[in-house]
Amino acid sequence: MLVMKDVYKIYRTDTVETHALRGLSLTVEEGEFLSVTGPSGSGKTTFLNIAGLLEELTSGTYELDGRDISSLNDRERSRVRNEKIGFIFQSFNLIPELNVFDNVDVPLRYRGFDRAERHRRITECLERVGLASRTKHFPAQLSGGQQQRVAIARALAGEPRFLLADEPTGNLDTNMADSVLDLLAEINASGTTIIMVTHELTLADRARRNIFVRDGELHDGPPELHFATAASA
Amino acid sequence: MDIGPIWRAMLRNKAGFILIALQIAVTLTILVNAFGIIQESTDKISTESGIDEANTFTLASVLFTDYEREQRKVLIDEDLDLIRNTPGVVNAVASNSFPLRQGGWSMSLALEPGNQTAESVNTAIYFVDEHGMETFDLGLVDGRNFLPEQVTWDDPDDNTWPAYAIITEELAKEIWPDETVSYVGKTVFISDDDPVNIVGVVDKMQAPWPNWDNVVERSMLVPQRRPSEFVRYIVRAEPGMRDQLMPEIEAALAASNKDRIIRDVRTMDHTRKLAYVGDAAMIKILGFVVLLLTLITALGIVGLTSFNVSRRTRQIGIRRALGATQPAIIRYFLIENSIVSAVGLVVGAALAIGLNIAMVEAFALEPLAWYVIPIGMLVLFIVGQFAVTGPARRASNISPAIATRSG
Amino acid sequence: MLRYYLKLGFLSIRANPALSLLMVAAIAVGIGACMTMVTVRHVMADNPIAHKNDRLFHVQVDNWNPNNPYREPNEPPEQVTYLDATRLLEAGRAHRQVISFKSDRVVQPDDDEILPFQEEVRATSADFFAMFDVPFKYGSGWDAAADRAEERVTVLSAAMNDRLYGGEDSTGRMLMMNNEPYRVAGVLDDWRPTPKFFDLNNNPYEDPEDIYTPFSVAVTGEWGSSGNNSCWKSPEEAGYASYLASECIWIQMWVELPTQADKEAYEQFLADYVTEQKELGRFPRPLNNRLSTPEEWMINQEVVDDMVSVLLALSALFLLVCLLNTIGLLLAKVIRRRNDISLRRALGASKAELFRQYIVEAGMIGGAGGLAGIGMTWLGLRGIENVFSEYDFIEHLVTMDWQMVGLAVLLAIVSSLGAALYPTWRACRVSPATTLRIQ
Repeated sequence: MLVMKDVYKIYRTDTVETHALRGLSLTVEEGEFLSVTGPSGSGKTTFLNIAGLLEELTSGTYELDGRDISSLNDRERSRVRNEKIGFIFQSFNLIPELNVFDNVDVPLRYRGFDRAERHRRITECLERVGLASRTKHFPAQLSGGQQQRVAIARALAGEPRFLLADEPTGNLDTNMADSVLDLLAEINASGTTIIMVTHELTLADRARRNIFVRDGELHDGPPELHFATAASA
Repeated sequence: MDIGPIWRAMLRNKAGFILIALQIAVTLTILVNAFGIIQESTDKISTESGIDEANTFTLASVLFTDYEREQRKVLIDEDLDLIRNTPGVVNAVASNSFPLRQGGWSMSLALEPGNQTAESVNTAIYFVDEHGMETFDLGLVDGRNFLPEQVTWDDPDDNTWPAYAIITEELAKEIWPDETVSYVGKTVFISDDDPVNIVGVVDKMQAPWPNWDNVVERSMLVPQRRPSEFVRYIVRAEPGMRDQLMPEIEAALAASNKDRIIRDVRTMDHTRKLAYVGDAAMIKILGFVVLLLTLITALGIVGLTSFNVSRRTRQIGIRRALGATQPAIIRYFLIENSIVSAVGLVVGAALAIGLNIAMVEAFALEPLAWYVIPIGMLVLFIVGQFAVTGPARRASNISPAIATRSG
Repeated sequence: MLRYYLKLGFLSIRANPALSLLMVAAIAVGIGACMTMVTVRHVMADNPIAHKNDRLFHVQVDNWNPNNPYREPNEPPEQVTYLDATRLLEAGRAHRQVISFKSDRVVQPDDDEILPFQEEVRATSADFFAMFDVPFKYGSGWDAAADRAEERVTVLSAAMNDRLYGGEDSTGRMLMMNNEPYRVAGVLDDWRPTPKFFDLNNNPYEDPEDIYTPFSVAVTGEWGSSGNNSCWKSPEEAGYASYLASECIWIQMWVELPTQADKEAYEQFLADYVTEQKELGRFPRPLNNRLSTPEEWMINQEVVDDMVSVLLALSALFLLVCLLNTIGLLLAKVIRRRNDISLRRALGASKAELFRQYIVEAGMIGGAGGLAGIGMTWLGLRGIENVFSEYDFIEHLVTMDWQMVGLAVLLAIVSSLGAALYPTWRACRVSPATTLRIQ
């Protein structure tokens, strides 16, 4: 379970203070498929960074699986990311020098699994995303959709409780996007909580619950309604 | 293009530029000091000994059988007759040493009789006869050569120093700094209280120790012949005859008397080379170091600029899309390098002076000539600009279309 | 995990071959330059008699000019007079004492095929061989009785024995020098102290003499010194006897004093001796005796040429330039790989793990630079040998021992890790959130 209460995130430079999140509160239950939408600069990415422990929050509380995240040091935060969270990025973020197998291997290395265990998990995850035959390929030799599948396999390999996806289909054509979304739905069906950030409403439809972020504040409910509100305001 | 925006952009990535600037600074420090030492060594090597080096060779005769004094005198006279009468020989002399030999005899001279004092002047001593002037090819600037009757044999029962001498102009100036007319006829005291009368002054003849700064230009010719077992002959040949005469005279001397050996047959060119091995080596080593160092620094600049170019590919594409010409892009990198170089070179100049002061204090080195520093700065600046040109040209070839691509 | 980091390091090096080569080359060249000079200096400043350093002492007494010291600031003369050398030897107040000088003799081999040749000969008192631990292959030195009896005996170096007698045991054979026969008492084993600590006067790096004879024989034969000879006042009269009675210095004197008490007693003895001589009108300067260990003596005599120290200082700066170069390139690499670093952080790598990854990579480059640096040092030493080829002793100054090889690798790894610290620290500071922002 993920619980955020009254979370603020303020970026400070010498001259400017940017309030990226203003008192955001949110509870995500086990097994949810949540979509987060909002216009550019609304705070979506900041939300995802904080949810994924990539950044620290300025104030407020954040509990993941009943554990208060704000008190953790770098090593503990890294550990949580590694064990409980999987990431999927818009631009895949595969390491170009590593082949498919080694890319999926990256988080497992930091987990400290032995060789056999890593091998088992990598093979299993690649089978799950349908790329078991491409282990020796390098990212540049794969299509965009295939690259994103490798990235999903990498996210799944650690058997995380939460999957955070940032515009997972932003760089893909419609066909590929559909198949990636099918895959996410399937993963969600097997029990993994998914939080997906996107600006495309059609994608958000595939989620079981939608939230909308605007000016760093959270609005629960169907996005269309909020667009309407925003337009009339 | 304005320097302001480039400078501000550089401040955003200080560390990388500070490192290049430091590298340039330390490179300048080494470059300038190495060049100073090279210059000092070159100066030393190129000083003239004052004798006709190109046509002169030397050899030694070592007697290993007991000869009476008179027999030894006869042998030396016979040897000199043989050498002087060989066609192609200009003249020859027996002496205790010669310039560049790195071994010889030094004495101290005083204006008053008595033990040496702080005012005494050290000089090299060459024992010669009246043929010394011509053999060494010395230029007389005042007075005259020794007369044959002034030349005496060293006498075991008489310890008195010979009463006449020919000295170099440098030595004369050192002894009598205030004299303006002539040194000839003046008296100086040697070996505590023996008076010596100056009969002639020569323009230049170096002491046998090229590395002894204080004494190297101070020499004194003494009209005395010494009948020892070990005699050095200095032979001056006619131009072009030296190499032919060397084996000829060696063989003739060896054949003329079997109670001695002939050794150390050596051209003055070879002697000069031996005398300056250390300086020649320093020139070679430091010259190589300077080249290698400049190359490494240039490659470092190339490497880092290439990195900057590839990191800024997109930014450069955008600039191109916004209308920057190719020369403008190149100019951007040249200006950037100029700024880094300027900072590095100013810091380097200070470091170079500091190191030089420290080295002059710790070791026997001359201080740097002031102009070496600006020359070094200029050279490194040009090298830096050249190093940047390659990567900058690649940057200018980046397509403006990159700006519209994402990712 | 180390193997994983090694693999990542290897991939990273392979991904930027030109850059990695530049870094390895820069470190190798820097190490090579530095280690070349360190090696030369190491050999030049070596103490070949270190195991007896605390019991051997070079003797100086100040018989010089009342107006001027021998050398500023108030240094006593480097050698001693015949008068003092023989009297101090005769007194026999040290455990061992040696007086010696070098001279020239013409050697006349038995074999008529070999022409007579001139050689430097060391005329010395009997204790020389025992005091300086000189190894013998055949026979032995001579004893004090032979010194007193002025026996014409000689000891040859192994090289001279090879040249004259084809390397056989030549003890008992007669060697002719200047038409006088000498009985060969012993043949030395290979012995080449570098520097030649017992006589640093002319060239501290020349070979030791190949022939040794009793000091007394040389003096009776009126041999002159072929080393340094300095006088602050001329001998009273001409001739060898007057020279022996003069204040000219030309003899090196060493004593062996096993304990501190022995040393103190000898210092007192020397002071008493000089005071006694002062009453006879000698030693016009204030009391200024000195006992120096071989190490102190080599430092006093500045056996390491200033130019070597200058080159060493410049080569250290050279290494610094190479390291600055490496730091800059590593930093550029880190900046370019921000994405990769950030991604690994997002996937759960802690700062400590990234630090280790980058340090391993730098260590690999440093190790490669160190190995190549050994090669560069070898090349550098050959270069030094080449530019000094006129010096026949140079080959003994440009040899690399295992100690120096180890030092080269250590220096390479330490300096490349040092160079990696800042870039690695920068790598660890890359925020894991960067990966989301860069699109």
